[in-house]
Amino acid sequence: MSESGAKHKFAFYLGCIAPNRYPGVESASIKAMKKLGVELVPLKGASCCPAPGAFGSIDLNVFYAMAARNLVLAEQMKMDIALVCNGCYKSIWEVNHKLKHNKDLRDAVNEVLKEVDMEYKGTINVYHTAELLYNDKFIGVDKVRDSVTNPLTGARIAVHYGCHLVKPHKDREFEKEVMLNTEHPVWMEELVAALGATPVEYRNKMQCCGAGGGVRGYDIVHALDITNEKLINLQEEKVDALTDICPFCQLQFDRGQIEIQEKFGVSYNLPVLHFAELLGLAQGMSPQDLGLDLHGISCESFLQKVL
Amino acid sequence: MERTKGYPAALDKKLQDTRLYLEDSNPEFTKNVKAISRTNAHMCYQCGTCTGSCPSAPRSSYRIRKFMRRAVLGLENESLVDPDLWLCTTCYSCSDRCPRDIIPTDVIMAMRNLAFKRDIVPVNFLKTVTAIYASGHGVPNNDVNRAAREKIGLSRDPPTTHSYPEYLPAIRKILDHYKLKANADRIIKEREG
Repeated sequence: MSESGAKHKFAFYLGCIAPNRYPGVESASIKAMKKLGVELVPLKGASCCPAPGAFGSIDLNVFYAMAARNLVLAEQMKMDIALVCNGCYKSIWEVNHKLKHNKDLRDAVNEVLKEVDMEYKGTINVYHTAELLYNDKFIGVDKVRDSVTNPLTGARIAVHYGCHLVKPHKDREFEKEVMLNTEHPVWMEELVAALGATPVEYRNKMQCCGAGGGVRGYDIVHALDITNEKLINLQEEKVDALTDICPFCQLQFDRGQIEIQEKFGVSYNLPVLHFAELLGLAQGMSPQDLGLDLHGISCESFLQKVL
Repeated sequence: MERTKGYPAALDKKLQDTRLYLEDSNPEFTKNVKAISRTNAHMCYQCGTCTGSCPSAPRSSYRIRKFMRRAVLGLENESLVDPDLWLCTTCYSCSDRCPRDIIPTDVIMAMRNLAFKRDIVPVNFLKTVTAIYASGHGVPNNDVNRAAREKIGLSRDPPTTHSYPEYLPAIRKILDHYKLKANADRIIKEREG
């Protein structure tokens, strides 16, 4: 136990879209995780992960070096990293993994980091908060259930897993085997049920949101068409909300619905909430505390059901 | 019926031509793709599981299987000038399902890296670079969000490079080491004036 009474402490890597577009994700993560015995300490001076689509496409060497700088900041704090975004997980977890296991890459990165008086040592691990919530080594579903004061009873909630937390699964090293099922995982549904809501399955659940790989910027209509297909499948199941564990996917589904309305003339008005925001609500945070009014699509219809 | 993707006619014709011209093949390309992607692209036996898993395939002419074949045959030009190269969302569904344990997504990433060396890159990718060079963030903060952060009890700027700009010089040094900012500026200027 540390001084704060927290059982576990992590350097909180924020990324870009959570703090700069959906700050409720940041504040809900800090507060909700604290209630569950996990303290998230700011990772001072962190930058963009960097964006795996843009940087990975342009020059993987820069991608490795930039992600390594963020990793070194946490190494200097002697803390493992926790983060809230699948895209960041791809950069931060995967680069950590690659550098730990490939001496040639590690040497090349350290050659560059030397210029900024840094050295990557490979002394820390990287976790997604969803993984911490699900894994009973850290928190576990039962504790999540016990922390709920405002159960989201009656709400039908579908899960968008996104891509980069779990895929490609042959590279991933989750302690819980169940997280490696990328064809039809159900572990997030367990977490949704722990909040008192009804998890809902839908067609082609594991399909990508469409935004990644730089496609959102390169061909927005193409990206939105992928999103639209998912929204059609979600509408068939009459869900009250979609939950995600990736702010970039959230941006694509949330702001994307407005763009789909403009470009395709179809509207869904489907509230899209990061799981941290859902958890915050279920633990008694107000929609105002969560800044839900910043969402492109109003969460009102969903809130009326659960508050 | 005329089939066109709206590309210049010569490129369109080239991409429609399915014959193999040995003089177009560059064995170095196959090696480079393998080295950058760190996956065994040459093991591909063209089953098409990748294209069948691809969310971009049903709504475009992007066929990842075709790029896998090009990697094996060393068809450098054909791979790098094809605008479909940029339609991969990097969802890794193909990589999860590949029966040869290849990671086709990383083959695409390697080809994009090689394309960038020839200045072939969509401008939006470069703008992420210039944004990070300026602020450390690909998606920087703004005033609406600052006010919202304050309202929910957070600092107006997150404790990242936004609050600690003294960390920016190191980021710029790393990007400059690879001349990434200079190249991004140059290419954006050539395209947009």
